[in-house]
Amino acid sequence: MSTFVQLVLRSLETGSIYSLAALGIIIIYRTSNITHFAQGAMGMFNTFVVTFLFTTAGMPLWLAIIGGMVSALITGFTVDFVIIRHTKKVSPVAKQIITLGLIMIFVGVTPFLFGVDPLNLPQLIPTGSLPVAGASISFNGILNIGFGLSVMAVLFYVLQRTKWGLAIRTTASNEFTARLMGVPTKTVTMVAWAVAAVLGVLAGVMTAPFTSVTLNLMDGVQLNALIACVLGGFQTFYGPVLGAYIIGIAKNLLVYYVSSVWGEQLLYLGILIFIVFRPYGLIGKKIVKKV
Amino acid sequence: MKIKKPAFNLKKNAHLNYVLFGAVLCLVPLLIELGLLRNSYLTLVGSVIIYSVAAIGLNLLLGWSGLISLGTAGFMGLAAYISAYVTVNLKLPFEVAVLLALSIPLAVGILVGLVSLKIEGLYLAIATLSVSEILRKSFEEFGDITNGFSGKTAGYPKLLGFFQLDKYGTYLLLVVVLVGVMILIHNMINGQMGRALNAMRGSEAAAQAMGVHLLKYRLVAFALATSLAALSGILYIHFIKYTYPPTWTLGMSLNILSAIIIGGVRNIYGTILGVFVVFAVPDLFLKQIPYFGAMPGFAYIINGILIIVVIMYYPYGLIYLGNDMKKLWGKVKAKVKP
Repeated sequence: MSTFVQLVLRSLETGSIYSLAALGIIIIYRTSNITHFAQGAMGMFNTFVVTFLFTTAGMPLWLAIIGGMVSALITGFTVDFVIIRHTKKVSPVAKQIITLGLIMIFVGVTPFLFGVDPLNLPQLIPTGSLPVAGASISFNGILNIGFGLSVMAVLFYVLQRTKWGLAIRTTASNEFTARLMGVPTKTVTMVAWAVAAVLGVLAGVMTAPFTSVTLNLMDGVQLNALIACVLGGFQTFYGPVLGAYIIGIAKNLLVYYVSSVWGEQLLYLGILIFIVFRPYGLIGKKIVKKV
Repeated sequence: MKIKKPAFNLKKNAHLNYVLFGAVLCLVPLLIELGLLRNSYLTLVGSVIIYSVAAIGLNLLLGWSGLISLGTAGFMGLAAYISAYVTVNLKLPFEVAVLLALSIPLAVGILVGLVSLKIEGLYLAIATLSVSEILRKSFEEFGDITNGFSGKTAGYPKLLGFFQLDKYGTYLLLVVVLVGVMILIHNMINGQMGRALNAMRGSEAAAQAMGVHLLKYRLVAFALATSLAALSGILYIHFIKYTYPPTWTLGMSLNILSAIIIGGVRNIYGTILGVFVVFAVPDLFLKQIPYFGAMPGFAYIINGILIIVVIMYYPYGLIYLGNDMKKLWGKVKAKVKP
């Protein structure tokens, strides 16, 4: 029993990481109609910024993380301002390839700015753990889970209850009409890219203590976030978050109880079969295409 | 009055053009022997040919049928490992390896094709991505067959059991396969299948109303794309002679996808041009630039910028650059000449 609780607690932590990244992807998808393959790469780049501020510039970690968030805001703004804004006429598939170009640029710029050696980023709360029902969870784990949940709570509050959220939702539902109604869609898209970048760096900072900060830091997160989006459905903002937690929990349980070698493959296979029977994800609705 | 065209027109005969293209590619070993090109260029051009085979297959799917697949790398890797295992561990002839390495990915591809009837767009893309991820994880875990992270080696192919190819021989084999694939795809897209695929891409409902059998053509498109990816994997393992799991990640699939977009969707030469830009230009030119070339990641940055610039300003692909240049030149000439 205690192992089970331990597993679920650990999964909630990975689940928060995936859901932050997935939320970034879905925000971009809904506002710009782009599958954001570079979410991981941008998060990786800004995690390097955090690590640089922490190790080389000697800032305290919390200040470094804030610095990383600022740099994420700037990268998000820049990407939208320089590139995405000018791609209105590009076909949807080609738009996704643009994010591939972004991956290449970020993967190329990072070693140029920060060197090729892997770096280390410690946890925000290095020691201490809390016993829960025979299992234990580190304070940093609690912080990750709590922080992830509160970021999402704030985002959903903004999306559902504020004027800005309304603007984002309008843009997501139909950009052209939104523009006719006086919604500043350009600004909305720009803010969406900035928010996604910040979510990316948060996921990156949470992932970093488990491994070292390298160019491949976010590959797994990116992949699982994309699959979470498919599992949850691309039509809602909360579907992918749900999908991310399900993937986080199911993965650890499968790896521990079924097979440490085949657990992950089984999970992906299960999701694949699930999509065949529910092609639009857990929450998604079928979009009726008119002929 | 116009001048009468000669009966034999090089520009009009597409097949002959492909063969000529192949002949030009065959000059590479000759130039290397003469000392005009560096030795490493053979591997470089060879890999361009290998990736082109997979890219042409994916173009059939992405360009002509309008279905996105992110699973190319998985299928390439699967075929490469099967071929290596059959020739090295089981000591069976090369032909048997090819047959097996084509048919197993083909079966998976047909399964994915069946699935593609239910799901579409982005969901299909990520479904194929998870197929590819499952395959890649299996490459890591099936140590008995794939040798895990230490990687698997194979030799140059031995044709018909006695004809052992060397490096140049294998290169020529690559060229022959590429020309064959180009002609095959050219015939297909200019025939009934091409029209059916075009109709499907435009509107599935309308195509069905016109009597296009959706299931049949989707399955054929997926089967062809995966078998070409598998073929490319076979060529890879017998030309590069080494493979390990990190080669077959999402990155490889994305590179092939971006090659198609850069070069030109629905264009065979465009696809090859795109593969050349993505896979060869960094090694060929960018790393030769003094000072900047030595910087880590420089080639990556330039390639990324190139991709974005091409998509923003050249949405139909680089292959149309020539045409546009000609048009522009014509305009300039017309202006200069009163």
